[in-house]
Amino acid sequence: MTVETTVDPGETPEPTIPEVDVEQQDFSVLVFMSQQGVFVFTALLLVFAAIFVDGFASLDNITDVFNRAAPIGIVAVGMTFVVISANYLDLSVVAQVATSAVLLIAISNSTNMLVGMLLGLLVAIGYGVVNGVAVGVFKANAVIVTLSTTFIGLGLLRWQSGGSIYFGDPDGVIATFGKTEVGPFPLAMVVLIVVTLAMHFVLTNTTFGFLVKSFGSNREATRLTGVSTPLVVIGAFTVSALGALLGGWLLAAFSNTAVSSMSDGFDFEALAAIIVGGTSVFGGKGSVLRTLLGVVFVSALTNIMVLSGYGFGYQQMAIGALIVLAVSVDALARKAGTS
Amino acid sequence: MSEDLTTERDVPRTGSPIIEAHGIRKRFGGVYAVNDVSLSVQPGEIHALVGENGAGKSTLMRVLAGILRPDEGSVLVDGQQLEAGSAQSALEAGVSLVHQELSLIPEMTVAENINLGFTPTRAGFTNGREQRRIAAEALAEINVSVDLDEPIARLSMALRQFVEIARAVARNPRVLILDEPTATLTPAETTYLLDMLQRLAERGLAIIYISHRIPEIFRICNRVTILRDGQHVGTVDIDDIQPNELVSKMVGRDLEKDLQSHREPTKPGEVVLSATGIHAPGVNGIDLEVRAGEIVGLGGLVGAGRTELVRAMIGADTRSSGDVTVTVGGSVRRITSYRSAIAAGVAYIPEERRTDGLALTMTVSDNIALPNRQHLSQNGVLLFGKIAEFAKRLADETGLRPPQIKRAAGDFSGGNQQKIVLSKWLGREPDLIILDEPTRGVDVGAKVEIHRLVRELADNGAAVLVVSSDLPELLELSDVIHVVRDGLIVGTLARADADEQAVMSLASGETSGSAA
Repeated sequence: MTVETTVDPGETPEPTIPEVDVEQQDFSVLVFMSQQGVFVFTALLLVFAAIFVDGFASLDNITDVFNRAAPIGIVAVGMTFVVISANYLDLSVVAQVATSAVLLIAISNSTNMLVGMLLGLLVAIGYGVVNGVAVGVFKANAVIVTLSTTFIGLGLLRWQSGGSIYFGDPDGVIATFGKTEVGPFPLAMVVLIVVTLAMHFVLTNTTFGFLVKSFGSNREATRLTGVSTPLVVIGAFTVSALGALLGGWLLAAFSNTAVSSMSDGFDFEALAAIIVGGTSVFGGKGSVLRTLLGVVFVSALTNIMVLSGYGFGYQQMAIGALIVLAVSVDALARKAGTS
Repeated sequence: MSEDLTTERDVPRTGSPIIEAHGIRKRFGGVYAVNDVSLSVQPGEIHALVGENGAGKSTLMRVLAGILRPDEGSVLVDGQQLEAGSAQSALEAGVSLVHQELSLIPEMTVAENINLGFTPTRAGFTNGREQRRIAAEALAEINVSVDLDEPIARLSMALRQFVEIARAVARNPRVLILDEPTATLTPAETTYLLDMLQRLAERGLAIIYISHRIPEIFRICNRVTILRDGQHVGTVDIDDIQPNELVSKMVGRDLEKDLQSHREPTKPGEVVLSATGIHAPGVNGIDLEVRAGEIVGLGGLVGAGRTELVRAMIGADTRSSGDVTVTVGGSVRRITSYRSAIAAGVAYIPEERRTDGLALTMTVSDNIALPNRQHLSQNGVLLFGKIAEFAKRLADETGLRPPQIKRAAGDFSGGNQQKIVLSKWLGREPDLIILDEPTRGVDVGAKVEIHRLVRELADNGAAVLVVSSDLPELLELSDVIHVVRDGLIVGTLARADADEQAVMSLASGETSGSAA
C-alpha cells in the first residue's frame, strides 16, 4: 500500500487568504426605514404641510383629501392581500374600479341601483376567480395575468359603453351618499375606515388571512402542510376584487359620474400606498393598517403637490419615484434581515 | 474484465504531477467540509476520489477547479500556484470540470454549448464556422458522433453527458475532473464513457474521477484517495486494496459500537402504509410496506430515488403509476393526492426544511399552528389563546431552544428549526410519519433529541419511514432497511444483518441482490 508521498514542507506556500467578511455593513437604518419609516415620514410630511403649504390645513382641503383618498384606499387595502401572498400586485384593479363605477351609475339610470351593485359583485367575483385560477392553479405570473385581464376588462367596458361618460341622477342615492359628511369626514372616509378594520380582522384573526400570510412567506411549505394553495390565491385576488368594487362605488359616488378611464393610475397609486406602508413585496409580511397609513402619505403628498402648483405630470413622477425608492429599501432590508 | 486493463494502470509515476493540492481546508459555518486534504495526480493517471455523501468530495473538487476559495492550502498546476478561488485562473492553467448537474443550455445547439463562454467571434459576431470546427474536433477527440446543430434538449442524458465532456475537452485541458459522470447512464453507456476516459488518460491527461460506484473505480483508476468527514483517510494504489476494504475505509467507523443503541422493537402491528408498483421520475417500480410501531429505513446514495419515492407515494409530487393505501384501525384510505395523504394521517418531514418545511419569516407558533389550524380555530376565526398553549406544549415536548414561540422560525439554528418542523406534525398525532434526512445539518445534541422523538413515535404505535444518507443514523433507528439504487429496492436488510458495509455495498452496486 503506497501512501501519498508528502511534499517537502518548505515548499508548501503559506496560506495567503485573509478572512473577508462581505456582509459587515450596518443595514439597521434600512431595516428601520422599511418597517417603521412610514410613521416618521407621514408625521413629518403632515407637519411640514400644515406649516408651509398654504391651504393644506383648511377643513375644506382635508375633506377633499379624504374624498380622494377613500376610493384608492379601499383598493389598496384589498390589494394588500395579493401583495402579502407574494403575488406582487393586482394591476387589473384599474379595469375593475372603472367597471364597478360604470355598472353602478349606468344601471341605476336604466334599471335599478341594486341590480347594478349585484352585477358589479358578480363581475368582481369573476375577476377574482379568473386572476386567481391563472395565478394559483396554472402558476402564471401575476403581473402578466393581471395586466392582461386589465386589457380584457377595459376593452369589454369600452366596447359596451362606447367610451361614454355616465352622469348619475343629481338627487339620487348615489349623489347623496357622495355629498354626505360626518363632521369633517365624508361618508366615503367612514366606509374606508370600517372596511380597513374589517380587513384587518380578516388578515390577522381568520384562518384565511393566516393562510395568505403563510403562503406568501413560503408557498411550498404551506402546500406541504396540506393546504389547498390555489384556493388561497383565488381568495386573495377575490379580496382585491372586492376592494376594487367598493373603490369603484365610492369613486362613482364622489363625482356622480362614471367613465372607463376614471381609474387610470389606481394600480400604481395603490401599490405605492401598500409598499410605502411597509408591506413587503416579497410576501408573508404586512398589514392593512399600514396600507391605510401609506394611503394617507400618498394622498397628502399628491395634495401638497396640487396646492403647490405641481400638475399631474409631476405627481406621476413622484409616485413612480416613491415606488422605486420603497421597493429598493424593501429589497435591501430583506437582504440585511436574512444575511 | 479488469484483467486486460492492467497495462493502463501501470502509469509511470516518476514524472512530476500535473496538479497538486496541499493541505486544503474549507469550512462552512463551524464545520470543516474539507480538513487538511492533499492530493497529486500525474499525467496519464486516473485518480479516484471516494467517500460517503458529505465526505467532502465535491467541496475538494470545487476548490481544485477554483470555484471555491479554500480557507487554507493551495492548488498547484505544473508547480505554479493557482490564484485561490479563481475559476478563470484554474481554467487557464488547464483544469476543466465536468459538473454533476449538467450545465448545458437545453435550447442551444451542441456546437453552441461546447463553445459556451468561449464562443469564437469575428468582428464582434459569432464565428459559426470556427465554432463548429472546435465542436467537431472536441467530439472527435472523445469519439462521439452527434449532430452539431441539434439542440441539447433533444439529446438523451448520455449524449448530454458526452457533450458536457466534449465541452471540457474543447478547452484543451491538462486536468479533467468528473463528478459522478455515470450517475444517469445505462451500463452500456457507462462502459463507453469509461473507455473514453481511458483513451484520454493515455494521451497524457490527468483525470480526477469521483464516483460512488466501486466497480468502475476498480476498472479504470490507478490510485484512489479516500475522504471521510472531510478528512484525508489515505491515498492508495488500486492494486493494493480490495473493494470491501475500500468500502470499510470510506465508512470507517467502529461498526460494532453503532449497533448498541437500538431500541427494543415493539411488536409490529397492522400494515399502515402499503405501496405497490410505484413509478415516477427516478423511481422505477417499488413496492413498500410499513407497519404500525415499526421504523423502516431507506438507505442509498443521494440521487438513488429515495426522496422521489416518498414524495410520489404521498402525492407531494405526481406519480406515473402505482397504488398507495394508508390503513388505520382497519379503515383503508387510498392516497390519490397530497391532501388525501394528510387527511389519512400522514406527516411528511421534507428533506429541505428551509425551503419546504418552514415559513421562516413567520413565528414558531404560526408554523406549528399551520397544519393544526382546524383544531385551533372556530368558524374560521383563529383562537389565539389555544394556539399559544398548543405551540408552547409542543415546543416543550420537542425541547426547542430557546423556547420562544413568538420568534421567527428563521432565527433558530438548524437543529431547532427541525424541532419546529417536528412540532408541526407531532401535534396531529400522525399514524404514518415520513422523515427525509431528519438530522442533516443538525448538531449532535439536537440529533439525539430528534432520534428520541422518532423512537417515541414508533413506540406509541406510529408507522415510521426514515430516509437517511447518514449510515449510523439509519442503522440506529431502523428495524429494517431497504436499500435503493437507480430507483429500485436492490436489497433489504433485517436489523441483525445490517451494518454500514452491507448498506454501502448494496447502495454503490458493489454487491447486488437481497441479503434478507
